[in-house]
Amino acid sequence: MSALLEVAGLAKHFPVRRGAFGLVSGHVRAVDGVDFELRAGETLAIVGESGCGKSTVGRLVLRLIEPSAGQVRFEGEDLLALSDGAMRARRQRMQVIFQDPYASLNPRMTVGAMLGEPLMLHGLAKNEAARKARVGELLDLVGLRPDHARRYPHEFSGGQRQRLAIARALAVEPKLIVADEPVSALDVSIQAQVINLMRSLQQRFGLAYIFISHDLAVVKHIADRIAVMYLGKIVETATTDELFRNPRHPYTRALLAAVPLPDPTAARERTLLEGDIPSAMNPPSGCRFHTRCTFAREACKRDEPALADDGQAHATACPYWPEFPPPAVLAEAANRDADRIRLTRLQAAFVNNQQREAS
Amino acid sequence: MSVLLELRQLAVSFATDDGTVRAVDGIDLSLERGRTLGLVGESGCGKSVTSLAVMGLLPPENSMVKGEVRFEGRDLLTLGADTLRDMRGARLAMIFQEPMTSLNPAYTVGDQIIEAIQRHQGLSAADARARAIEMLRTVRISSPEKRIDDYPHKLSGGMRQRAMIAMALACGPELLIADEPTTALDVTIQAQILDLMRGLRRDTGTAIILITHDLGVVAEMADDVAVMYAGQIVERAPVRALFARPEHPYTVGLLGSIPRLDEKRERLPSIEGRVPDMSRPPDGCRFAARCPFVELACRAETPPLVEVAPGHLTRCRRAPLAQVLP
Repeated sequence: MSALLEVAGLAKHFPVRRGAFGLVSGHVRAVDGVDFELRAGETLAIVGESGCGKSTVGRLVLRLIEPSAGQVRFEGEDLLALSDGAMRARRQRMQVIFQDPYASLNPRMTVGAMLGEPLMLHGLAKNEAARKARVGELLDLVGLRPDHARRYPHEFSGGQRQRLAIARALAVEPKLIVADEPVSALDVSIQAQVINLMRSLQQRFGLAYIFISHDLAVVKHIADRIAVMYLGKIVETATTDELFRNPRHPYTRALLAAVPLPDPTAARERTLLEGDIPSAMNPPSGCRFHTRCTFAREACKRDEPALADDGQAHATACPYWPEFPPPAVLAEAANRDADRIRLTRLQAAFVNNQQREAS
Repeated sequence: MSVLLELRQLAVSFATDDGTVRAVDGIDLSLERGRTLGLVGESGCGKSVTSLAVMGLLPPENSMVKGEVRFEGRDLLTLGADTLRDMRGARLAMIFQEPMTSLNPAYTVGDQIIEAIQRHQGLSAADARARAIEMLRTVRISSPEKRIDDYPHKLSGGMRQRAMIAMALACGPELLIADEPTTALDVTIQAQILDLMRGLRRDTGTAIILITHDLGVVAEMADDVAVMYAGQIVERAPVRALFARPEHPYTVGLLGSIPRLDEKRERLPSIEGRVPDMSRPPDGCRFAARCPFVELACRAETPPLVEVAPGHLTRCRRAPLAQVLP
């Protein structure tokens, strides 16, 4: 099957202006040569810490900001060659959800007006009755009630607002949704509701997601493939299961080791990364990670490693990974002791509760 | 072990346009010297308000605090403002999620630490400066002799958090309240800060109340855990017991709803519904509306905290939960 989205050599260098005359004194290399593909119905997660460029990649793909270089092909068509008008029409097929549902919904529009607007714009509802019916259907899809259409965004909780943002994205029947930290601002119990909703909508409509997140545990539950970014570049990419089982890049390994596990009995590998994330305005030479890498050698300061695929869709931007000691494998919590069984059975009641609420 | 802090029937209410909101509703807790208590719960459960009440930092204009906050046997709620101010910083200190809430942007990092040291320990300017540099070194800020004269905005997020910890610990407090200290940080920086806090706790024996929504952080740091829901403690237990054998349905649901690195499930058992409106809390158990094990009697009256195993308390009348399983 061919790719829904192909991204090649994507880059964005933001100029930094200084002084009274606004002279360009340098560039922040927010995204600096990124390649990936996404198939229909697939979820690619882009993970990394502040300033790694993950959100910028999402915006570049949708042309919400213009790339400095590179190619973005969506359904075989070069998006960067399109006029503004043609691009607007394509946006019917690619939508976005942001982290902060408080900031992304117009406070002065009722939910019905907000969901109805794109239907009219893209000619998806012939008349008032069809529009109303579709709005009700969209609200139902995201677990809200049709009569919520009369309300304003401030009358909803954070989790419900994120459901509204999802409903608005779904209104135009997109093929791709870029979700930028969609659950990061939500409480954990609400987070799980939204993750479950996104997964079931994906199965139902064959949606592809670019899921941008800093949270590896969330990503593990929603992604088919993961790309790990550091300072504007992808340092490792693999299927989700493979990446968690065999992390190769020292940064991926450190990232996994740093996530606190909700298990006080877990024995963890403690490889603390020293220092802060360097500035993207002046990234380190050679391998950008060398200033914090436990395995760094002389050559790393000089040579910039390529993202090399091993032939099995696992690519790593570190030529030395086979020489490193294997990472401590995270034991899957397969521990079937009595406590675990009891807890799993108790939690099953919450899943049944969900299904009861849904029906 | 001696008890350092004891809360008895602590209650906090706020006057709002929608009437009185009972943010904290009868908290009983005790913390021994040198121990770390994790206080967990979701937004609005009252965990931060509880800590601000302990510190005496709630605005007196619109908040009402009742009950007792016994610190080394003295009820802090009965102390005068001056006495309390002398104790804050010296005996009890607090750090926040956002360091800029406690660091003043108009003064250098050094000025602020030195001020705290001089105020509480009466050292000379030179000695206080030397002690401040020493503290910055303790929190592993590199070249502290230079950093001490930096303004907060010059430091990265992780560095600011370290500077705030240095300021909080400068006078060797017996109790440190840390309110979401790593929530705003990247995960590799969070790991550094947690490691630092573990080291300082070992070296100084400071007792810590760690307020967080992150059960992973609690599992790594706490000796004991108290879970809050809608202004009440619903479960309290030693950390291992809480994670292995939770006895309150809310804790069970919360543990289920976190996506975990060491597990993959088709569907996360989320907790449906939302927290009750605290200006009109429901009768009976506050979790009843979202609980899969609810019975008619649960809605009738507020269940008390009962001990189901040594040191393990739950506010659920159906506990032990083994009996609700088919």
